[in-house]
Amino acid sequence: MHEFSVSSEIVKNVLDATQKNKGGKVLSIQLEIGELTFLNVEQVTFWIIELFKGSVAEGAEVKIKTINARIHCKVCGYKGGIRSGQKNSLRHLALCSCPKCNSFQFKTERGQECVLRRIKAVK
Amino acid sequence: MKIIKSKRSEIFDIELNKDLLARNRRLAKENRKRFDHSNILAIDIMGSIGSGKTSLIKSILKRLGLGKKVAVIAGDLTTTIDAERIEKEGARVIQVNTGKECHLDANLIRQAIERMKLGGVKVLFVENVGNLICPGEFPLGAHKRVVVISVTEGAYTLIKHPYIFREADVIVLNKIDLAKAMKVNSFQLEKDAKKINPNVPFIKTNALSGMGVSKIINVLGLRT
Repeated sequence: MHEFSVSSEIVKNVLDATQKNKGGKVLSIQLEIGELTFLNVEQVTFWIIELFKGSVAEGAEVKIKTINARIHCKVCGYKGGIRSGQKNSLRHLALCSCPKCNSFQFKTERGQECVLRRIKAVK
Repeated sequence: MKIIKSKRSEIFDIELNKDLLARNRRLAKENRKRFDHSNILAIDIMGSIGSGKTSLIKSILKRLGLGKKVAVIAGDLTTTIDAERIEKEGARVIQVNTGKECHLDANLIRQAIERMKLGGVKVLFVENVGNLICPGEFPLGAHKRVVVISVTEGAYTLIKHPYIFREADVIVLNKIDLAKAMKVNSFQLEKDAKKINPNVPFIKTNALSGMGVSKIINVLGLRT
């Protein structure tokens, strides 16, 4: 839902880090996005590519890996992944319950990240 | 930051490993510390557009009668309509316009409390941007999170957006006087709420008449 602002921040971070390291051109960036964030991977990719235009990162490859969720159910004790009908969509919003007992009471151990892992650049 | 040079020295990797969402959670914790340090109870009011967040805050303020001991951060995309409505109740109000943004974040709150004179303030309300999705992902550092929905949004609001209700400390069902006209079963909505968040207080209100508002005041511990 807030892909534009998150993408803008990613782009700002990429351009700042590239400039700081005297990179002339960005070849690719690698991101990891948690399954439980409200970020649609296709939209994030679209905005980054758009926002890169006219900068040293124009045309850079945007690689995004999904971080699978890991939850700990407070009701039945289940530990593991969450049922997710379609990957990279908002479908999980309606399905954010324990896959074993359907409780909504769980602790999220993993899956809420949006990590800018690395940038590949050329001098 | 770590730089790894490849054999062909012109290509290099910049390792950042920066979690952009974790930054908000960190800032939220800092805001919380600041509230605790100043002895301020901070309450985040979230909910859909038109559910009655501003009316509810006005109604609470009217009943509390604490004047300038209450501060309100009114979040909105571009207008000051809500801030002006709340100001009439005598509280200190600061407007935060998010522009295109669909939620307030911890950094906007940090900036707002820096701009605001908080001396003597006992309670701070933050009226979030009308939205049932994004604010759930951006904690602000408030002690309590209230989600306001209304019967005019239909019968499926809770079950369609469970995430934000999982995070709620209080759920308010507003415009209860219109339930019959809207053919909405408020007991079913309450059942949905209990399924998502079993121990959450579920309070039915009519913010305009004031019905149910004192229950919210009690649950939030605002009676002094």
